[in-house]
Amino acid sequence: MARNNKSLNRRDVLKAAGVSTVGIAGLAGCSGGGGEQGGGDGGTGSGEGSGGDGGGGGGSEDYPALGNFPIDGNTATYGFNVPQSGPYASEGQDELRAYQLAVKHLNEGGGWVDSQFDDLSGDGVLGYQIDYVDGDTATDADTARQSASRMIQRDGAIMVSGGSSSAVAIAVQGLCQNENVLFMACLTHSNDTTGKDCARYGFREMFNAYMTGQALAPVVKEAYGEGLKFYQLYADYSWGQTQQASMKKFMTEVAGWEQVKSVATPLGTSDYQSYLSEAANSGADVLILNHYGLDGANSVQQAIDAGIDSDMEILVPLYNRPMAEAAGGAIEGIYGTVAWDSQIDNEPSKQFTQAFRDEYDRTPSGPAQLAYAQTLQYSAAAERAGTFYPPEVIKQLEGYEYSNIGMGSETMRACDHQAQRDVPVVQGLSASEQSQGQYFKIVNITSRDELGYACDEGPAAECELGPAK
Amino acid sequence: MSILSELMVILLNGLQQGAIYVLLAVGLSIILGTLKFVNFAHGALYLIGTYAGLFIALDVTLSSGKLQEWGYADIGLGWGFLAALILVPMLVFAIGLLMERLLARSFYDRPDTDQILVTFGLAIVVQELFRVLFGSNSLPFNQPEYILSVIPVSGPMTLPIVGQFPRWRLWVIGITAVLVGLVYLLVEHTDFGLVVRAGTRDAEMVRLLGIKISRPYLVVFGIGAALAGVAGVVGGPLNVVNPTVGMDILVPAFLTVVIGGVGTIAGAVVGGLVIGLTQAALIGLPALTIGSFTLNFSPWAQVGLYAIAAIILLVRPQGILGDEEVAP
Repeated sequence: MARNNKSLNRRDVLKAAGVSTVGIAGLAGCSGGGGEQGGGDGGTGSGEGSGGDGGGGGGSEDYPALGNFPIDGNTATYGFNVPQSGPYASEGQDELRAYQLAVKHLNEGGGWVDSQFDDLSGDGVLGYQIDYVDGDTATDADTARQSASRMIQRDGAIMVSGGSSSAVAIAVQGLCQNENVLFMACLTHSNDTTGKDCARYGFREMFNAYMTGQALAPVVKEAYGEGLKFYQLYADYSWGQTQQASMKKFMTEVAGWEQVKSVATPLGTSDYQSYLSEAANSGADVLILNHYGLDGANSVQQAIDAGIDSDMEILVPLYNRPMAEAAGGAIEGIYGTVAWDSQIDNEPSKQFTQAFRDEYDRTPSGPAQLAYAQTLQYSAAAERAGTFYPPEVIKQLEGYEYSNIGMGSETMRACDHQAQRDVPVVQGLSASEQSQGQYFKIVNITSRDELGYACDEGPAAECELGPAK
Repeated sequence: MSILSELMVILLNGLQQGAIYVLLAVGLSIILGTLKFVNFAHGALYLIGTYAGLFIALDVTLSSGKLQEWGYADIGLGWGFLAALILVPMLVFAIGLLMERLLARSFYDRPDTDQILVTFGLAIVVQELFRVLFGSNSLPFNQPEYILSVIPVSGPMTLPIVGQFPRWRLWVIGITAVLVGLVYLLVEHTDFGLVVRAGTRDAEMVRLLGIKISRPYLVVFGIGAALAGVAGVVGGPLNVVNPTVGMDILVPAFLTVVIGGVGTIAGAVVGGLVIGLTQAALIGLPALTIGSFTLNFSPWAQVGLYAIAAIILLVRPQGILGDEEVAP
């Protein structure tokens, strides 16, 4: 899958020669609408077979070289940068399965390519076959940056996707901005990804910690009442920090609760007993565990083993399937939010679940749905644009409205590249109920109308998207 | 909450965190002390112990990995925890013997760096083998509810002064104490132990006295391995299980040996306690407020471990109870 150095040299030469010559209009700023929408108009790619000889490059005659555009040859390469080791490895593994499925469907048809994405033909994208390279971020920002850099420089990736760890997503998103390569964020939930660290070249389908707080607060207020005291433990990096800040904000403002203390724990901690002892003796009524992946499975399991649930209510703001699988019955009755769940009752969700099961004989997780959706979303935008030229693809994504990925009607907001979407609130099932293959009960799918913030509020107020070229 | 109860909580947390390190460090330390062999694959033995314990004790259904793909997803035996506690040390003891015969023995006279490289390589091979076979998904290792059907060992229990504390963690402390005591008796108060200790001082003289020193060495290696296996079984239910657990615990285990002093069982115990208590104390101590400045200790828990190791090594390079300098 790796390409030789020829592409690098060619890219550099083209970039030096051509970038400044063509004046593609600058993209709209924060208030800008999202270009031409209403999919389907651009579908020039299907079966036209530019074939890689002369004139290829996904519209290279019309646009100057930028990033890894134009594409050399007749294969477009996507870079999938996921955690294959470290505390979020289980999530990464499921993401990778979904990415591979997406590539298969893009090239051969199937899944949402046939049923939900009219822009896609099932015969590659813009006449190019899709190939991919994958990398292991090790749930570490520096490793992830190096891996993404390799994908962009050596493998000529036209788009990079990945995440699981917001620190990773933010680092890679920044790199992609500098390299003029699109970054389709997968599982990243920190407010900063589309807040102070947002980027023109980054798009996030996942909701953020702020929206989790908004969605959870009314539910837990109704379940547990007002006037409670809460104690927080949080993973000490971008996601955990914004997650605990958002929980503090909404539990205080909406639920009328009072924070006793919020304590940072290092990412990758395996034994939380000492932290949990402190929490248990704090006099608080509610314990909020802002941990994710393996860390989340460990902390909630250990909290139950320590008997904390007998005196306190426990919240795990962000769940996912591999995490619940690892924690087992410890999640029984615990509220949280998930990116997506296979139980969500609509056509796209059912189709994706079925396609994933057919391929892997397993139920997909929320991060898998994100990975699949983001890959197709990018490909469809390129088809609508009629080119892989990044600023044109960005135009197609900004302000795009869609309802084809199983989370209702959504808008990819132009001002911060944050999808405006519903948020599923769930409650963990008991060990015996989990044997049926489901781990959560969906309590509420909070409508996007009750969530979010304006472009000059909340995390978006700090967002400066940066240039498209 | 009184100061006494806070101190008791810190003490108990420290003891239980240190206990697993002690089990690993005792094995590491006697292998290092008697055979002068640096075994970086000790974490892999812990990994084997954890998975073997999980599969023997519980009914497990794999959700990923080659075994699942090949149709062997249900591989747990479900024989209960006591069976795991008895069988796993025997299994890992046997693996230890094989490792000594096939790998370690030919490296005894080689430099430390060679030993480190080959054992670290082995650790990676084992870890990746487990990842391929059992998947990288984490598996829950539920704590046993009862041992012998009547003795409750999971869930919280209420202790005087301390309040609620997870019962299994108290058992970890207890099991560690018993095992370490047995190994201490074996090494310090039996003829076998005498030969091993004599061999440590002067192997050539022991051979001249007509004793085949290689056999006790083999057993020492096996015992060290078995202890790592037991650590895997008793430590497994504290966390969820995945192929990286062995590597994760390797560094604290070595730190324990270095702090306590190489080759002494008492040193390993002291080292484990120092690490466990330091960590528990930094997390548990209330924040210090001086004027408008507030110093919160818990973010320093990890740093604290290495800081205390550095301080101890500066003052006593051979470790707290060690009687020779630790090789760099």
